Amino acid sequence: MDNPKQLTGAQIVIEQLCLHGVTTVFGYPGGTVLPIYDALYQNSHRIDHVLTAHEQGAAHAADGFARASGKTGVVIATSGPGATNLVTGIANAYLDSVPLVAITGNVPVPLLGKDSFQEVDIVGVTQPIVKHNFVIRDVTQLERTLRKAFLIAQSGRPGPVLVDIPKNIQEATCEYHGIAPEHDKTPAPKFDITDALEAIKACKQPYIYAGGGVIAAGAEAELRQLSERLSAPVGLSMMGLSALPNDYWLNLGMCGMHGKYASSMAQAECDLMIALGVRFSDRATGNVQVYRQGHTIIHIDIDMAEFGKNVNPHLQLHGDVKAVLTALLSVLPEQKNEQWLARVAQMKLDGEIVQTGQLTPQQVFAAVRDVCDDSTVVATDVGQHQMWTTMYYPLAKPRTLLTSGGLGTMGFGMGAAIGGCMATGKQRTILFTGDGSFGMNLNELATAVSQNLPLVILILNNGVLGMVRQWQTRFYDKRYSQTTLQRKTDFPALAKAFGAEGYLAETLPQLQEILANLPDGPVVIDCRIDIDEEVLPMIPPGKTVADIITKR
Amino acid sequence: MEKFTVELLVSNRYGVLNRITGLYARRGYNIDSLFVNETENPEVSRMTICSHGDGDVQVQLVRQLRKLYDVRSVVLMASVEC
Ligand SMILES: Cc1ncc(C[n+]2csc(CCOP(=O)(O)OP(=O)(O)O)c2C)c(N)n1
Ligand SMILES: [Mg+2]
Repeated sequence: MDNPKQLTGAQIVIEQLCLHGVTTVFGYPGGTVLPIYDALYQNSHRIDHVLTAHEQGAAHAADGFARASGKTGVVIATSGPGATNLVTGIANAYLDSVPLVAITGNVPVPLLGKDSFQEVDIVGVTQPIVKHNFVIRDVTQLERTLRKAFLIAQSGRPGPVLVDIPKNIQEATCEYHGIAPEHDKTPAPKFDITDALEAIKACKQPYIYAGGGVIAAGAEAELRQLSERLSAPVGLSMMGLSALPNDYWLNLGMCGMHGKYASSMAQAECDLMIALGVRFSDRATGNVQVYRQGHTIIHIDIDMAEFGKNVNPHLQLHGDVKAVLTALLSVLPEQKNEQWLARVAQMKLDGEIVQTGQLTPQQVFAAVRDVCDDSTVVATDVGQHQMWTTMYYPLAKPRTLLTSGGLGTMGFGMGAAIGGCMATGKQRTILFTGDGSFGMNLNELATAVSQNLPLVILILNNGVLGMVRQWQTRFYDKRYSQTTLQRKTDFPALAKAFGAEGYLAETLPQLQEILANLPDGPVVIDCRIDIDEEVLPMIPPGKTVADIITKR
Repeated sequence: MEKFTVELLVSNRYGVLNRITGLYARRGYNIDSLFVNETENPEVSRMTICSHGDGDVQVQLVRQLRKLYDVRSVVLMASVEC
């Protein structure tokens, strides 16, 4: 632009959002964001604002939107309690490397540091759980800072960035330049594939361990090519789950604590592990010393600090997963490892687990899958129902699973499902939740109703905090301390009170009947499952695959 | 364990020291000594931080420091047994 315009800080926020392609934001108004909300009002034709019931829900919705779309999610909240309500949502995005820009209002600059009404040092509070955060004390810094915020959130290993904007900065005016969004100027890391090639060519029992980094890099196709080229089975971390279709024959599913039997077994028995965009979480590895033994590990990641943080790799390749895989694929010859594949096929058979009961979790997932298509977005909460989703819901496309991996946030599901639904242009979206988790953020049913979102909310209702109870069963001699929910919540009635629809399903035919007649708006289905249903197999914490529990 | 020294060039802004020491604290490293001064460029400060830990710990710390937005460079100085 030749003649820079004079804009207020609030208008600059809007212009910057539009410039970065943001069309949907989630948030909640309040005193210190009034100028921004006024600008949103005047720009409602450019930006759709989704008002949630709670800022935590807004943060999870922005996170879910980002996961489903691959774009940066945006959440707006007022100072003080509005800002602190974002904290869990920001931490959740941080631990799962989700690009998020959180904009908070704050008291006017002259009142900062004086314990003013609704003043919280949110930059201090969120410091350990953001990639970076900023306070704006001068309106002329706002445009530049917002550009930086988007760049930081999206570049390298993505993550949340918070920008705290005092109210008087939103009201002040300055020149606005509208320069195009910044691109990452850090040079792409240089890597040398020679040693990795040698190791791969020499192996007989390869195994690929793929995580969220594969999806972040958009390297799903390269992952599959590598697997096909090497006849290598693939195990996935929770964050990597949608990277390969469930029906791809070499996809063994999730590995680790609640992973599939074959996936964890093959990982332990392989002679070469190619780890792509994973951080070797303790939930995935169990005992790290044993985990590392018996095979060569090649670790490929964009974040240098991941090498050796949890597991010391034998070889490391620092770079964008897609770039490294492309380089490897350009020279790698085909390999057939028939003996190894036969062994893996046997592991798959050994690991079959059948559930029993009136309405089993397995049946619920199968029935729901029947009414979905390959691109349906599925969100989960946290607990047994989440692990069953990873095991029994067949995913087909990247970015169709929204689940809280690193933080394990009960209450993530409702917000995430709303965000995911918005990201798909209000396509039917599924939430698998638990009776405990749903209780944490069920207020967001109000949001689903006001937005008339086609959400199908399945409560896998076991009457307990099942996952914690399972640990009490296994490791605390069945002393069920505070995990039995003696509640009398009538979920279908609750749904109706919110203006949604609600049903009870005690048998499979009942569930199928409800699913065959889904309404256009949100619906809650209370699926009654057995209290003692467990997530199996399970590798106890800190143990190894040799300690895997497969039977009740 | 070894004593080791890290020398950083960081943005000279309020709150930056806090981000650096916060990272040390969060990841469980004690700071034995800390020296901060402005460089010839007023936008940049130099920090010299002495700490102790094994080789792996040192490398991990340096890599985490490099990820901080306000950190421009990190050099791990020679370490000594202690
Ligand atoms: C916010 C939060 N608080 C506590 C926990 C610990 N926790 C993990 S799973 C779980 C039980 C979840 O119960 P429910 O939602 O009913 O799911 P279920 O395991 O029964 O399927 C609890 C309490 C958590 N992950 N998140
Ligand atoms: Mg439950």
